[in-house]
Amino acid sequence: MTPKKVTTTSGSVTGAASSFSWSKADTIRTSVAGVIVLGLLFWAYLLSSNTETGGRASFSLLIGLALGIVFERGRFCFFCIFRDSIESRKNNGFLSVITALAVGAIGYAIVFGMYLPDTSGEYLPPGAHIGPTSWVLAIAALAFGFGMALSGACISGHLYRIGQGSLRAIPALIGALIGFGLGFITWNTLYLRAIQEAPTLWLPHYIGYAGSLAVTLAALGVIAYYLLKSNTESAPEKVSGLAVLRSKFSPATTGALVGVIGTIAYMRIEPLGVTRQLSAISRKEFEKQSLLPETINGLDTLAGCVGIVTETISNNGWLVIGFVLASFAGALSANRFKFEIPTIRNSSTALFGGVLMGWGSMTALGCTVGVLLSSTQAFAISGWVFFLFAFLGVYLGIKAKVHTL
Amino acid sequence: MSTKKISRVVALVASVALLSSITTAPSQAIPKNDTQTLVSADWLAKNINDPKIVVLEVSAEEGLYERGHINGAIKVSWTKELVDPVNRNILSQASFQKLARKAGIDNDSTVVFYGDNNNWFAAWGAWVFNIYGLNDVRLLNGGRTKWEKDGRPLTTAVSAPALGDVVAKKADASLRAFLPEVLKVAKKQQNTALVDIRSADEFSGKIFAAPGFQELAIRAGHIPGAINIPWKTAINADGTFKSTAEVRKIYANLGIDGKKPIIVYCRIGERASHTWFLLSQVLGYDVKVYDGSWTEYGNSVGVPISNPAGTVWGIA
Repeated sequence: MTPKKVTTTSGSVTGAASSFSWSKADTIRTSVAGVIVLGLLFWAYLLSSNTETGGRASFSLLIGLALGIVFERGRFCFFCIFRDSIESRKNNGFLSVITALAVGAIGYAIVFGMYLPDTSGEYLPPGAHIGPTSWVLAIAALAFGFGMALSGACISGHLYRIGQGSLRAIPALIGALIGFGLGFITWNTLYLRAIQEAPTLWLPHYIGYAGSLAVTLAALGVIAYYLLKSNTESAPEKVSGLAVLRSKFSPATTGALVGVIGTIAYMRIEPLGVTRQLSAISRKEFEKQSLLPETINGLDTLAGCVGIVTETISNNGWLVIGFVLASFAGALSANRFKFEIPTIRNSSTALFGGVLMGWGSMTALGCTVGVLLSSTQAFAISGWVFFLFAFLGVYLGIKAKVHTL
Repeated sequence: MSTKKISRVVALVASVALLSSITTAPSQAIPKNDTQTLVSADWLAKNINDPKIVVLEVSAEEGLYERGHINGAIKVSWTKELVDPVNRNILSQASFQKLARKAGIDNDSTVVFYGDNNNWFAAWGAWVFNIYGLNDVRLLNGGRTKWEKDGRPLTTAVSAPALGDVVAKKADASLRAFLPEVLKVAKKQQNTALVDIRSADEFSGKIFAAPGFQELAIRAGHIPGAINIPWKTAINADGTFKSTAEVRKIYANLGIDGKKPIIVYCRIGERASHTWFLLSQVLGYDVKVYDGSWTEYGNSVGVPISNPAGTVWGIA
């Protein structure tokens, strides 16, 4: 069920023309943003003809480009979305998440039908983020959610805020890198205690694709119904003309685009995620310092956003590069780019929140993008568990007012 | 009329229509060991719609087949389908028959294997299919990489073939060597050539496993008497095999001329299958794969080994 109150930004819209002005500075900013986007496209073109990296690196960069613009323009920041809902019942953002899950679930069902037509066996569709479900996942998601509240955004949120000039994102991401390392350190214990024996629950194994899609859409519909019922936020303003270059995307547009991009990413490369490359960097650095056990049990056989140590930039690395640069272009043309100077106080909360998120996403095999979106869209119970507990973590964080520290 | 019957009729009509473009029907019992066991991408492209041809992809990388494969190809998983999941063994005769029938293979089908990683696992598949007595098993020269580099089309459409009627034969013991036989060769009680197709550093014992692979054997080196001919010796830069005359000469110069039986081995048997395919199916020599390979031999207690590098496991 998608919200009916909102409209898309496309089409000619009369009336509601808000005071819109276009200055010389706008022309400059938009031009620079255009050059960045063109530059990324050209970079992708160069990558595609490089036999070393091949088409997949190029395509990943393009996915990052699209996602960066949509996240920035759609304000697809999971923390802000959850906070707005919890604090003031402004539910438009939350509805965009629900839309992304619904559209992505439809897309995944289509792709799954092609990749694994027969769900009666024990096989799982290749590469999909269908993780083991245990109490470890719940705790990891809870820590992740609390970390979001503490640091002011989730990992993807911080990544696109770099593009908006948020310097506070830097200690948060450093924290996340430390957190990943801690996650690798605690992994073996948790793996042997719970994860190894935890069931990998995948709905289509029980009720097929049609049943899974029906159940998922019904669940999302129920959530959407309550969100719409209690929503205090009005529909976004309609925009037309050049204002499109600056305006925010409506929740429905944002959610639908995130869902479509997620489907395309899975179909061509791998499920969306933003932590694979970052965690690989962490793993390598921690290994260099001899801080990690020699073998990390079972990790590389599980599907999720945790990177195997690679020498070069992985597909996920290209995605993140495209994501950050595109969000910068998006912010620039919308005049949202502003250096936000962090204080010692909010840098510390960002750092500590980052550590929690790093540990949580490594242990949960992904973050809000890699698990909350990609696993739920893929009909994995692990996605729903992460969704629930990450939300709970944010809720507790907000009730404890850690986001105002 | 059942859908199966309809598809059979369609297949019949299609094959009649195709006869004009195909000069020789591929399944016309081509004698084994003919060089035709290696098919070119051109040949496959031309014959791809022949209902007697079943194309199987065995790739190691997960999701590769699903994101695009040769039109009509069926996926076969090396780790999940071609081996017994519990015992260290190839799949059983019964499982094999089930798998092959599900892929639409009849007794007179031509099976063409291809895959990633230089066809290693595709060659392993071809070896397993030969063990269970399939008549016409071929390998796509250059594998998936060559097909892609040629710019040939891939599809994501999954074909659902009608159930085949192939009958698997009893495992052919002449294609597979086990440890006792290998030991006889190592102790010079049996006159067989041993070919170690691993890298020179693995062969000499300088390293315990190729870079990027886990050290799964606690002794390094090779089986006494083995000759080191890395699998790469047989291929061109584009992954295709060198010409038959050329490889015959290269291997003969290294002492492998087919005059006596041959056993090939590697780490777990997949790269050895690649060389097995060349020596056995293309050159027509009498070759067995020792699929226990170094991960069995190098871990066995009390067997003689040769370790010129003198490395000792656990001591840096």
